[in-house]
Order: sequence, then structure tokens, then C-alpha cells
Amino acid sequence: MDHEEVVAAGTAQKQAAADDYVIEMLHITKEFPGIKANDDITLQLRRGEIHALLGENGAGKSTLMSVLFGLYQPEQGEIRKDGKTVKITNPNDATALHIGMVHQHFKLIEVFTVMDNIILGAEDTKLGFVQRKAARKKVEELSKRYGLTVDLDAKVEDITVGMQQRVEILKMLYRENEVLIFDEPTAVLTPQEITELMQIMKGLAAEGKSILFISHKLNEIMEVSDRVSVLRKGRYIGTVNTAETNAVELSRMMVGHDVQLVVDKAPANPGKTVLHVEDLHVPSRLYKHDAVKGVSFDVREGEIVCIAGIDGNGQTELVFGLTGLEKPSKGKIELNGQDITHAPISQRSKAGMSHIPEDRHKHGLVLDFTLEQNMVLQSFEQPRFQSMGFIKFDEVRSYTERLIEEFDIRSGQGPITIARSMSGGNQQKAIVAREIDRDLPLMIAVQPTRGLDVGAIENIHKQIVAQRDKNKAVLLVSLELDEVMNLSDRILVMYEGEIVGELDPKQTTVEELGLYMAGAKRQNGTKEGET
Amino acid sequence: MSQNVAGKKPVSQPALGSESFWHKSGTRSVLASLVAIIIGMLAGSIIIIAVGISHGMGGTTIWDGIRLIFGGLFASGRDAAGNLVFSFNPSSFGNMLFRAMPLIMTGLSVALGNRAGLFNIGAPGQYLAGTAASLFVSLSIPNTVLPTWLIWIIAFFAGMLAGAVWGAIPGVLKAFLNINEVLACIMTNWIAANLVTWMFDSSNLKNMLEGTKSGYIYKTSAILNDVSIGGTIQTVGETIPENAELIASRGNVATAKMGLDSIFSGSQVNGGILVAILLAVIIYFMLSRTTLGYQIKACGANRFAARYAGIRDKQNIVMTMAMAGALAATGASLYYLSGNTEFFWSTYQSLPAIGFNGIPVALLAINNPLGVIFSSMFMSMLQICGDRLKELTAYNEFITDVIISVIVYLSAFMLVIKTWITKLQKGKGAKK
Repeated sequence: MDHEEVVAAGTAQKQAAADDYVIEMLHITKEFPGIKANDDITLQLRRGEIHALLGENGAGKSTLMSVLFGLYQPEQGEIRKDGKTVKITNPNDATALHIGMVHQHFKLIEVFTVMDNIILGAEDTKLGFVQRKAARKKVEELSKRYGLTVDLDAKVEDITVGMQQRVEILKMLYRENEVLIFDEPTAVLTPQEITELMQIMKGLAAEGKSILFISHKLNEIMEVSDRVSVLRKGRYIGTVNTAETNAVELSRMMVGHDVQLVVDKAPANPGKTVLHVEDLHVPSRLYKHDAVKGVSFDVREGEIVCIAGIDGNGQTELVFGLTGLEKPSKGKIELNGQDITHAPISQRSKAGMSHIPEDRHKHGLVLDFTLEQNMVLQSFEQPRFQSMGFIKFDEVRSYTERLIEEFDIRSGQGPITIARSMSGGNQQKAIVAREIDRDLPLMIAVQPTRGLDVGAIENIHKQIVAQRDKNKAVLLVSLELDEVMNLSDRILVMYEGEIVGELDPKQTTVEELGLYMAGAKRQNGTKEGET
Repeated sequence: MSQNVAGKKPVSQPALGSESFWHKSGTRSVLASLVAIIIGMLAGSIIIIAVGISHGMGGTTIWDGIRLIFGGLFASGRDAAGNLVFSFNPSSFGNMLFRAMPLIMTGLSVALGNRAGLFNIGAPGQYLAGTAASLFVSLSIPNTVLPTWLIWIIAFFAGMLAGAVWGAIPGVLKAFLNINEVLACIMTNWIAANLVTWMFDSSNLKNMLEGTKSGYIYKTSAILNDVSIGGTIQTVGETIPENAELIASRGNVATAKMGLDSIFSGSQVNGGILVAILLAVIIYFMLSRTTLGYQIKACGANRFAARYAGIRDKQNIVMTMAMAGALAATGASLYYLSGNTEFFWSTYQSLPAIGFNGIPVALLAINNPLGVIFSSMFMSMLQICGDRLKELTAYNEFITDVIISVIVYLSAFMLVIKTWITKLQKGKGAKK
């Protein structure tokens, strides 16, 4: 074994070091019915580099990774590992080739300990008994070597998201993977945790691991990667050295045209109060305590108020309480002076609230309905879409066609496309179009650009600012710091169910915001104001 | 998740309405149902052959059996030489319609539930609720008080209402306590079976019109002398005199024939089949054209999105289950108010098969209310074929049960069959 490795290293040295590819995906073409998801894509991963894979939604990144993982079989092309052609027909083959992946949504068993999660599926056994001691020693060594601090005896449900991610990384290292794939790893992390992850990734690469980093956050790619490959609409656009490029060039490669990275907006001109929230408490679905603990704030006409915070600090429940998806346990909500604390959802709609939900598949759309059926989800009972209980199909059709035109919603068959078959970005555009076109005084938008590419984000941000400029009140909930800083006129930071600070985006920094989000800092004014 | 979906985004977008008739999803579904039916019939034929060979029946008998499986509806007996004669048989056709009548209703009940994302396995219990209510009302109102047609209408709606109430129970449990509707439906089924037995046992309606036949709540009309029971004509006039007085005051509630008896002479068919078909058409338009149908489908396809949009999902679930219950019970009303059917009141150990048969009927019809009409007719046709098989050959009628079960089994694979058809069409398209 050792001898072979030496020989392999020797041959590698003879070649130019830059051509030492650990994984090569050559001319990969993968088709789905009527669609080329990957069209002649070549991706070469050098040993010990961090290689970013950049692309819009629907560019084919996931498909390409699924091909590498053996979940899909490509129609054309070949995959090489260490220069040898390999056939990967299922994920077990990929594991055997030491390819590991940290998924965007962690694959951990919440009620198991960290240790059990790491060894699960790769247990060393003797006479059928798991060799815990040996395994533990190995995990401890790895954790020390790569600086991955975890509490091995804690249950996964009790540890932070950042630590859960380190558990996922340890899982890959425990399996002695050499190729590590990170699928949008920073989406759930705080700015501090992101910095930490970047350090860990650099450390892994320095130890000789090869990393594929899937992302569409340009600043992260600029910071951590050595090279970037860009995909667009299933095609391979090119690979560039990170040191020789910049964010603007990368976004142009990704989208195909110039993109405005900063939202252009005039100063806010707030008017009368639209939404008034007083000492609101909302129960948690999972636990017995309240997830929102006594939140009070106002949103006025013509301003964008942003609720910032790390995922899971009560933002979801706050929105549920405001929109009627969950009953508040205490407090008061007023919309245009009308008490809607206990009003059913339909009445909140009528009182003037539109809502871009956090979970577009669960709440935003009926995926098995057509696009046009989805466009009238709230308004089908209005006289313009029905008479005597019979739906006016012509009206629904022409209404949908207008929105498709105005909001550039792309789909296979126009109004009669099944929502499920549309791309994530276009599904989101459809929801945004529907909610904006309802033209109501208050819009609650929860992560309206989640998982979208730069082009779509730019478009949706413009629409939201346009709403504000039409004197609507906008309450935006976002986990993306760039979005919070760019879009909002006022920032409210939520931490553990409370508002711990009100900040002016013009006078604060991302770092300061991060401290509030992590609970390291809080304004006394909020607490005093309540008492 | 969303990225996967996005990965399949079409590169070239097909023009609107470019799908041909044969490539439509609906057409493929119908084809898939037909494939299931054909495979089921072939399986029945194989059993005919296997049973025939193992019993040494000989080629002619086996061939007769197979012909009856496919064409039993048209069998009208044997000629002098002993060969099967096939021709239009009005009595078989009429009986097919008659048997399809309650099946259409239970099929609609299950189909409506499925469209709303609810598996209504409670159709047997709802059917029993309808049976009890319609029989109680029709037998206890003397025709000296109200005209018989009015008694019929009251009894019909009483059955419908009882079913609605019975169906609403699992609906309420599901909506407000989040109890799985399948569990609640099974419980209510058996509660209905015992309740109905107890109600009739403690009533004085039992055997009211037919003293000699023990244990039966006999037909609601005993005035007709010649009626067909189970396909054969029986004369029941002789048994009447015992309680002639009572019969004179209570009997004669029967569904109007609406001239169908002259078209399909010698059969049990009556106007009830037209009511069932009308209801199927109404449900079809309700689901496809109205805001009510839109709400029901939205709740069924994604309860959370419906709630988000302000549709009252809980009320919707209760209402849909009540409607499903009313439909199943209407089947019972139509069947037992026919005037020539009998109900064995001691039912606590069994549930009516017609209720459960609503499930394959709905599956085969892909939950389309209009499709339910045809799938019910097909199922009752198979039963007729089974009867003919028993009458005219040495086989028994249970072979048709095998066919039905194969079809039910295959209807669970409907999606797989649909995918085959899609692939087959693609293969052809590529060759062109």
C-alpha cells in the first residue's frame, strides 16, 4: 500500500503539478425528458484545491453532483478518479472511491449522540459488537487534527447548527474521504460561523483533501476558493483562477449579462403606521415554551422593516403569528387600526395583508395544481374570478398570462404548467408576482430570495423596493446579511424570541449585526421600553 | 430540493397545446385503466383454463368459460344443440344497471374523498347508515298518512342525511383532533354495523312485510307479485295474506321505473340509475368548475397551502367527509327503496361489500366522477358474467372475484403502467 502510494506520488511529480487531478468529469451530458440538465460539462478537481462550482438555480449544479454521486447515470461522458476511468452507478460506489458530501440539509439523527452519528453506517465491529473505544479515539484524533471542536456525547438536537455541520465534516473524515463536496454550506450559519468554516475548509485543503464548494454567494467564493467553474443553463461556461477574477466578472459569467449587486433605492419616506404589534407571544410547535416572547414593533407606510437573525430564533413563529398560521398566546396585532390578533387568515387578507411565505413548497404553492390555479389561490372567491360559485376560467387564464408577462415567469406550458415542474426560481417568482399584484397595504416577505440566483434576486429586490415606493409597508424577514443590509430601512434583530436591537443599516456594520444576532450584544432600550 | 426541480427546467419550451390527444395525461390514464382491465380478464381466462384442465373439463367447456368471461353480458342461454347463444339480453343489461346504481354512489364517495386527500374507507358504514335511515323512515310512515311518493322522497333524503352525519364524524376527528381518517372510518364502520343490528332488533319493523322469511327486513314494497330477486323471478304474492292489513298501510314504497322496465324487460332496473348518473355528473361539475371544488382540491393537494391562502381547511375536511358520506348513503337509499330488494338486518358481523367495492371503482376511474359511472358498470357487468358462468357452465361465479381482485391489484400499479405507456409513445416518437 505504502509502496504504491509512493509510486503514485512519483508519477504525479513527473507530470506538471497542476495536472494532478483527483476527480475529472469529462464531457458529461445528462438529459431528462425534453431537457438537457447537463450539456457537455467538464469539471476537473485538482488534488488539495478548493474548487467552487458556481451557477444559477437550474444551471445544473445539483444534477452534476448527483452524477458524481451515482444517483444519475449520464448519457455521455466519463468520470476519472486519479486518472483512471471509473463507473459510479450508486452512492456506495462513490463512498468506496472516498467521495463524501455535506448536504445543505444535514443528514443527522437528532436523538443520537454526535459520536453515534459519526460512526453510523461505518461501524467497526468485532463479533457483532461495535468497537466504540477505537472509533472514539479515531474521531478525537481527527477532531484535534483539523480543529473541529465537537461535543461527542451531546445529542445532535442539543447542539448548534455550526457544530452539526462540523459533525457532518467529521463523518466524511472518519470515512477517510479525500474528495469533500460542500453543498451550499453557509446558508444556515452566522457570519462568525462562516468565517470559522472558511478556516476549516482551508485547513482541510492544506492537509491534502480536495474540496468542491457549491455556492452562489460570490464573496465567499472569492474568499476561500482557488479556482471557480461556472455553469449556466446546463452548459459549462468556463473555469477561472479566483486570484485573477472578481465578483462582477463571476456574476456576469453566471448570469450572462451585467448584474447590479447593490440595490439602488432612494431614502425611505415613512408615513402612518400600518402594522402595530404589541407584546406578542407565539407558542412554539416543538416545545412547550413560547418561541416569540413579547415582541413589540411598528411598520409604517413606505418603509422596509427587516427582521434579522439566525434561523430558529423565533422569526418563523413571529410570521406565523402575524399571518394567522399560528394562534398568538398573548399580545395584540393591529393592521390599519383593526385588531386582527385572533382573526382568521382570510380576514387578515381582506384587512390588507399579503404574505410571501418562507416555505414555498409547503405554504406558497399547491405543487400539483397548474400555474393559473396557483395564481388565484387567495382570490378565487372574488367576483372577478367567479360568478354564482362557478369559476370564470377565461378570467383566470388572462390574469395569469398578464402576470407571466409582467414578472417574466418562465415555464414549459404557460398558465397550464404544473407548478411542481417549474424551476425553484420561477416558482418563487410566481408567488412574488401573486402577492405583489394583490396590491395590499402590508406585505410580509419571508426570505423572498432564498435559494435564488443573482439575476432573480436583483429582480425581486427591485419589486420590493417598488412596493415601498408605492407607499406600501413591507416587513421583510431574512437570514441573508447582504439582503438585510441592502434592502432594509430599519433592522430589528431577533434573538431567542425577542427583539434585541433596532439598527439603522446606514450606521451599522455586518460585524455589529452579527454580534446582535449571536446574542453577544443587546440594546437596553428595547427592554426598558417594555417596562 | 428546489435545485433538483430546477435541474429539469426545459431547455426548449414546447409551444402551447402542442400535445396530441394520445399524449395527454388524461388519455394515458384511461389507457392505463384499460390495460389493467385487460390483464385482469386475461388472468381470469388463465384460471378458467387451469381449473378446466385440472378438472378434465374438455376444450368446449373451457372455451365457453372464456367466452362468458368476456361476453357474459350478451349470453342468453344455450340452443338445442347445447351451444352458447349470444344476443342482446335486456334482463342482463337491466340488472347490470341496477347493480351499478349503488356502486356508482359508493364509488363517487371514495373518489370525492380521494380528490380531497382523504381516504374514505368508511363507505360501508355510511352505506349502512343510509340503509337504516331510509328503511326506518319508509317502513314506519303509513301510506294512509302520506302518499307513497312523498314517503319515498323523505326516506331518500333521510338516508342521505344519515350518511352525511356518519361521514362527518371521521371528518371532525381528522380536522380537529388530527386522528387519521382511515382509523376513524374503520371504527365508525363497525359501530354502524352493530348499531344498525341493534336498532332493527329492538324495532318492530323486522320482517314486518314478510313474516315467513326469518331475519330479513323485507322489501319496502310487497304489493308487486312478480319481482326479480338476485336475477331470478320469484312470486311472492302468496306470502302476503298473513299481514295484509299492515302491508296495505305500509307497503308500496318503490322507486319509479321511469319506463326502464319496458326497455330492459325482466330486470330489476329502475329510475334510481338515472339519479345516480345525474349525481355523478353534478359532482363532476362541482369538482371541475366551481369554487367549492377548487377549495376541496386545494385542501386535498396541499392542506398547508390552502390554509395559508385563507381557505378554512378544517371546515373543508368535515364538509368533504359529510358529502362523501351522503353519497355512499344515497347508494343505500336508492338500492333499498327500489321495492324489490331485501336487507338482512343482523349485520353486526359483516360490512356491506358494496361499500368496499367503491374503492376499486374509484381507483379504476382515476377518481373521475364520470369515470365512476363506467367503472361501476364494468364491475357489475363482471358480476353478471360470473352469474352466467355459474348458470351455463360447470364453473362457479367466484372466478369473476379473482378478475376484480387482479384489477384492483393492478390499479395500485396504475402509475407504473402509465409510465410504460409514456415510454412506449416516446420510443415510437423517436423512430419517426
